[in-house]
Amino acid sequence: MKIGTNANRLRVASLLLPGLLIFGAFTVYPILKLLVMSFFEWDFGSMFNQTFIGLANYQEVIQDEYFQIAFQNTIIYTLVTVPGQMVIGLLVAALINSIKRFRVGFRVIYYLPVITSWVIASLIFRYVFNTEGLLNYLLNNILSLTSSNVRWLDSRWGGMIVAMVLGIWKGIGWNMVVFLAALQSVPNELYESAEIDGANVLQRFFRITLPSIRGTILFALVMLTIGGFNVFTSIKMITGGAPAHQTETLLTWMYYKAFSTGKFGYSAALSFIMALTLGLLAVLQFRLMQSDKAGDAL
Amino acid sequence: MKAKKVIALSVKYLLLLLGAIISTLPMLYMISTALKPNGALYVFPPRFFPSADEITLENFGYILNKGGFLINFWNSIIVSVITVAIAALVSSALAFVLARFRFVGKKLLFGFIILTMIIPGTTMIVPQYELAVGLGVVNKLMGLIPFYVAWVIPFSTFMIKGFIENIPKEFDEAVYIDGGSLYTVYFRVALPLASPAIASVTIFNFLTAWEEFPWANTVINDDAKRTLPIAISGFFGQHQFTQWGYVFALSALSLIPVLLIFVMFQKYFVSGIQAGGVKG
Repeated sequence: MKIGTNANRLRVASLLLPGLLIFGAFTVYPILKLLVMSFFEWDFGSMFNQTFIGLANYQEVIQDEYFQIAFQNTIIYTLVTVPGQMVIGLLVAALINSIKRFRVGFRVIYYLPVITSWVIASLIFRYVFNTEGLLNYLLNNILSLTSSNVRWLDSRWGGMIVAMVLGIWKGIGWNMVVFLAALQSVPNELYESAEIDGANVLQRFFRITLPSIRGTILFALVMLTIGGFNVFTSIKMITGGAPAHQTETLLTWMYYKAFSTGKFGYSAALSFIMALTLGLLAVLQFRLMQSDKAGDAL
Repeated sequence: MKAKKVIALSVKYLLLLLGAIISTLPMLYMISTALKPNGALYVFPPRFFPSADEITLENFGYILNKGGFLINFWNSIIVSVITVAIAALVSSALAFVLARFRFVGKKLLFGFIILTMIIPGTTMIVPQYELAVGLGVVNKLMGLIPFYVAWVIPFSTFMIKGFIENIPKEFDEAVYIDGGSLYTVYFRVALPLASPAIASVTIFNFLTAWEEFPWANTVINDDAKRTLPIAISGFFGQHQFTQWGYVFALSALSLIPVLLIFVMFQKYFVSGIQAGGVKG
């Protein structure tokens, strides 16, 4: 509809403005400021040290050994937790979709980890994975799988494993709900005719289910990749980046550089590198899925 | 053939049950730890359930009486409720205009709003902190609310816009013919008919504000201004030995409103997530 009269223009503006003002001041302005800061030596506290240094911050970030560790950790976290939660979430959704009783009950229970806050879930995992904690007792004293208590939180990979197990555990419920809706929208006739043709369960899954829910898979992939790069609270609560910054992720390292060393310019450059990486990944994922679709059509 | 089906079904239920146990075990352990006396938390062997004679409410008593944590509950409630109220109002207004009117730059505006959903909120924390310092809202609840509102606007607008687009335009036209203005359409047609979508985003926004940690942890230092997540995490800085009994008692209490909302509004949760997933 066209807006038309001047009085209507005012009314439309009055509806748009409050939202745009808040969004502009607290989201758009910080994004632009971030870009500006990334080209400056911008030390917090000393308001006078704001010198334009071009791309030096970006160079410093990329050459920084700790940034490289944090980057690797974030990529590994994403590569492990995203497929992990998607596969398990889809499996749970398929199971729930194939039963008749207690569907709602299971859906509620599997969603509980999603609504548990990151702070609380991280603390529980930290407590369970403690050297004297419940898990080591189970592994060592009950199942005898290990010969001594594993010091999970004292090594790079130990800490990363705890964070990744938490990430998968907490994400399954969301995937289950998303995939359950997708599975329910696949027409039943497709399965019936495939069954008549003698296709087994696996064939039906790969030939009918997966292609039918492609759009949902892409949606989940993009959302979860963003979520994977967003990992912050769990690392901060479980390892705090220790030992010796070996378990830092992009956001925890960015935060440390900003608020523990005052290097706002460095952190701004890091944030921008991260945002660009995510944007590129999103485009790439969309392209991949689309070319896949085109291939099928041939 | 029938026996085979029964076995297959039993295996399915068993697998689902196993997953359900794994999903709930950590929360049960949290509650059981909160019910143990603080000194008994690292006894060997560790026990999942407290023994009958050691069950105690002393951790909960400390949190509710001596610890002064009620103020944190109150802070979280104020911040979350005001955040969702403002967000619902401004996002639905944005969504209504974007869904119903054509104007120059509309596509660009909507595209930009969606684009910001890709960027993790925490990446903006550095310039946002300078902004908070500049506005003088550090250590104030006002240092949280507008930032949270701005944070949830894109997703809320996106969801509500999709819903309003499915409302037939005839409803609008009927109001205009009766001499109603654009405001009448917004308040009498768009808001009531889009209320399922608004309810759905309101629940998500409430949880976002209720559990937000990185920003609150950056802006608030004052004990009396802390929201629940930073009050919980604060146990680590204050004491040399973490008092897990207190940590988990406070955690369990802070989960109660979340669980209540989840159980009461379950269908909005599901429809909210699925609307994004199936369309995407």
